[in-house]
Amino acid sequence: MQSTPLDPELTLQSNGRNLAGVLDQLRDREPERFEKLNAEMGRWLPEFDRILFDTPVSGQRTLLLRTHEGHHKIQASELSQGTLISLAILTLAYIPDPPAIVCLEEPDRGIHPRLLRDVRDAMYRLSYPENFGEERAPVQVIATTHSPYLLDLFKDHPEEVVIANKLGQDVSFERLSDRADIDEILGDTQLGDAWYSGVLGGVPSHQ
Amino acid sequence: MCSANLQRTRPQLRILVDGILGTQTEHVAPPFRASGWSQFLSVLPAVLRKLHYHTDADALAVIVDADASAAHRLAHVPRDGANQGCRLCRLRLVADQVQNGLTKVPDRAPLKTAFGLAVPALEAWLRCGLDPRAIEATLLQRPDAGTQTLRIQLKQEVYGTNRPSPEVRMARATEEARRLVQILGEFERCFPDGSGSFARDIRSW
Repeated sequence: MQSTPLDPELTLQSNGRNLAGVLDQLRDREPERFEKLNAEMGRWLPEFDRILFDTPVSGQRTLLLRTHEGHHKIQASELSQGTLISLAILTLAYIPDPPAIVCLEEPDRGIHPRLLRDVRDAMYRLSYPENFGEERAPVQVIATTHSPYLLDLFKDHPEEVVIANKLGQDVSFERLSDRADIDEILGDTQLGDAWYSGVLGGVPSHQ
Repeated sequence: MCSANLQRTRPQLRILVDGILGTQTEHVAPPFRASGWSQFLSVLPAVLRKLHYHTDADALAVIVDADASAAHRLAHVPRDGANQGCRLCRLRLVADQVQNGLTKVPDRAPLKTAFGLAVPALEAWLRCGLDPRAIEATLLQRPDAGTQTLRIQLKQEVYGTNRPSPEVRMARATEEARRLVQILGEFERCFPDGSGSFARDIRSW
């Protein structure tokens, strides 16, 4: 991960660029939010207890995570992809002015399956801010996944799940709640298991 | 004591267990978790073996949501392999089968177990004493029994939203669990095959 220039107008880029600068701004401008994010980060990633910053060269910022034990400072460039994705998702969820639409490709990537409920809740923090004590407009979150575990977490909200049916070069989309038979099909079955089995479609085919 | 359930409600489960036992238990708290019923059922044998061979836990307490599955009946006999639609019977059957196959460990008493089935979900229990409709028999007779609509409605009533934040989920469920242990008699009468059965298991320890 590269360092971020110090710029008051920085925003988080689609490839995660500027993460250090956006977090640095949050710490300076919204310290309470930053502390909440820090605490949440410590819960998601219990091996770490603090987001820190460094100034490698004049006018540049990098971020580091401090280990809970030993207080070792780990440069962002040394962190795993899942850790960085977690941090980016948390940052989006806690900044006061997230973009109106957020698209997340495989937000479960590199993330421990047991953290996926927290990932879902971070997405809900964006989409249903009033449920989390936020006073801002809801964000439209569009996420793709191939994780049955993440899908399981949406069983009570089939209106939030769209299955992509790929046939050769074509693709059609079907909202789960539009299927009249969804309750009948699912019964006791986990949503992720049902999708994996193919009974809900969403299995690429060339015929 | 070791507790596990399908949601992150361990503190609430512990409050219920301690309230029923009338004493404070030491919580072993192995970080077991399962993603849904079918996964929980498949990992239960491993959890039981782990607890038996590698911990000094005295007991395992489990509460699962019934969702759309069949209700438990006192007349059910888990060991006969019937009532496969009843989650409580299936849990007990699996636990019996696994525990019967365990090798005795010196100085270790058999692990005690308690299983509870919340109809249709834990949130219904959390409404007991507040909503006169929060009664097992009433919930089972509703036209929307077993549907996602009812589960969502219960969440709405307990948390004020059907997509509660983790903090709200934890705080509300803890608060209601503390209230329920003050009205255990009513709680067990309202959910005789759920919390009643769970409490009987625990009192048999």
